[in-house]
Amino acid sequence: MIEFKNVSKKYPNGTLALDDVSLTINDGEFVFIVGESGAGKSTMLKTLFREEKITSGSLIVDGFDLKKTRNRKIPYYRRKLGIVFQDFRLFHDKTVFENVAFAMRAVGESTKSINRRVPTILSIVNLQDKVKCFPRELSGGEQQRVALARALANNPSIIIADEPTGNIDPKLSLEIMNLLIKIHKHGKTVIVVTHEKNFVDYFQQRVITIKDGKVVDDKVGGMFDA
Amino acid sequence: MRRYSLGYLISQTFKSLTRNSMMTFVSVAVLVSCLVVMGTFALLIGNIEVNLNKLGDLNQIVVFCKLGLEDEAVDEIGTQIRALSNVKKDDVKFVSNEQALLEEKEKYKKSSKVFENMEKDNPYPDSFVITYKDAEKVADLEYELSNIEGIETVKCRADLAQTIDSIKNGVIIAFTGFLAILFFVSIFVIINTIKLAVMARRQEIYIMRYVGATRSFITTPFILEGISIGVFSAGISFLIQWFGYSKLTDVVGSDYYMLDFLKFSDKVNVFGFFDTNITLIVLVSFLSVGIITGIIGSMISLRKYLKA
Ligand SMILES: Nc1ncnc2c1ncn2[C@@H]1O[C@H](COP(=O)(O)OP(=O)(O)OP(=O)(O)O)[C@@H](O)[C@H]1O
Ligand SMILES: [Mg+2]
Repeated sequence: MIEFKNVSKKYPNGTLALDDVSLTINDGEFVFIVGESGAGKSTMLKTLFREEKITSGSLIVDGFDLKKTRNRKIPYYRRKLGIVFQDFRLFHDKTVFENVAFAMRAVGESTKSINRRVPTILSIVNLQDKVKCFPRELSGGEQQRVALARALANNPSIIIADEPTGNIDPKLSLEIMNLLIKIHKHGKTVIVVTHEKNFVDYFQQRVITIKDGKVVDDKVGGMFDA
Repeated sequence: MRRYSLGYLISQTFKSLTRNSMMTFVSVAVLVSCLVVMGTFALLIGNIEVNLNKLGDLNQIVVFCKLGLEDEAVDEIGTQIRALSNVKKDDVKFVSNEQALLEEKEKYKKSSKVFENMEKDNPYPDSFVITYKDAEKVADLEYELSNIEGIETVKCRADLAQTIDSIKNGVIIAFTGFLAILFFVSIFVIINTIKLAVMARRQEIYIMRYVGATRSFITTPFILEGISIGVFSAGISFLIQWFGYSKLTDVVGSDYYMLDFLKFSDKVNVFGFFDTNITLIVLVSFLSVGIITGIIGSMISLRKYLKA
């Protein structure tokens, strides 16, 4: 469970990016976060994976109080999250397999379990035929699927995606969204920041609208009206 | 750290060292100069120390009696010397003129002809070797001694000791300053080497962080990189020091045969704990200083990444 209680985030330069945000996201929910550019959506995700610390209020995720959790424990907390960015952030000198395996190596998984698990994940994102390809040999949609596979590699309970279709051909974007829904149906909590009105309106999920750092709308089956 | 990531860590370290080969080379070169200067310095001090000790006990004054004194007069001088407060009564050694002649003959065996005529007419005076208690009051003692009836000259070995001692102090000050600068430069260069390595892997580090890699997993390859620079440098420095020093002592040693030189195989006592040879001391000090410098350098450049 994710619980924002009166969360504010002020950057060192004085920008108040989150202003008294309170909301709860239950396990297994699917949530779209929408809002204008500069509204504070990415900041919200950054506080979730503790890239940024909140300035006031409390943020509790799966029992971790992110204001109090020691730096030393943060890596273990982050293993509960899978993160996907707009720009994929893949290694261009590594194959698809190695890109996904990297996440598992980084947490000390054995080669044996890597060799067993990576192909399984790649088949979830329908990339079983591209195992040996390099990112430059893939389309944007395929690259984002690799990134998604990497986010899934350590079996996180929450998937966080910041504009995952922002750099992708609209035709291929639907594929990514469908995958995110599929992952949600496997029982994971999925949080997606997006500007894509069509998808938000089409998928009829919970929609949280943010404006100037505040939650201005939050309803299930909501529509995109940022 | 789990066992199976060890191979990964080591391969990362070597990849990084070779990718960054120019900076690695500069780091090693600077650290090597630092270590060799340190070694040279320590050996120089060691050699000064050894040769100082060879001069014998330095708290000594030699007084020479006037020539041709009666035995009673010489005894009387001895009694008066022993009565002085700054003199160790039991350490007053009488050296008769015959003894002195014998010693000189022994020293210059090769040119024994010079001494032939001296048997009849001994040119050496009787002397006393005195050990004093308080070095601070040597000047007073010298004055008191020179006032004793029958004493011709007073020679204080402290003069020589002081000269050598001040040379030693000068050497220590000059080298310490130089060494401090070199260490500073070494650490600076290593910091930058590691920083470049970190920059080259910025994206990788970023991704490692958000997939939940621990701090030690992320930083260990860089620390290992620092340590490897230290170990390489120590090894190279040791070889340079060893060859350089042996050659140098061979050359200098043959010109100044009255000086003693430490050898790498000499045993010395380490802080009163155990005896070991100089080879081991040099090697161990080079390794520890090299490794510590490497670790400090990499820790400083990783400071930012040591946070979560
Ligand atoms: N590191 C930072 N330092 C200072 N200000 C920042 C920082 N990151 C974001 N901001 C500011 O905080 C506000 C919210 O930014 P944020 O990136 O969360 O917006 P966003 O909703 O994700 O926008 P977009 O849709 O364009 O990605 C903006 O005014 C932005 O300029
Ligand atoms: Mg954003």
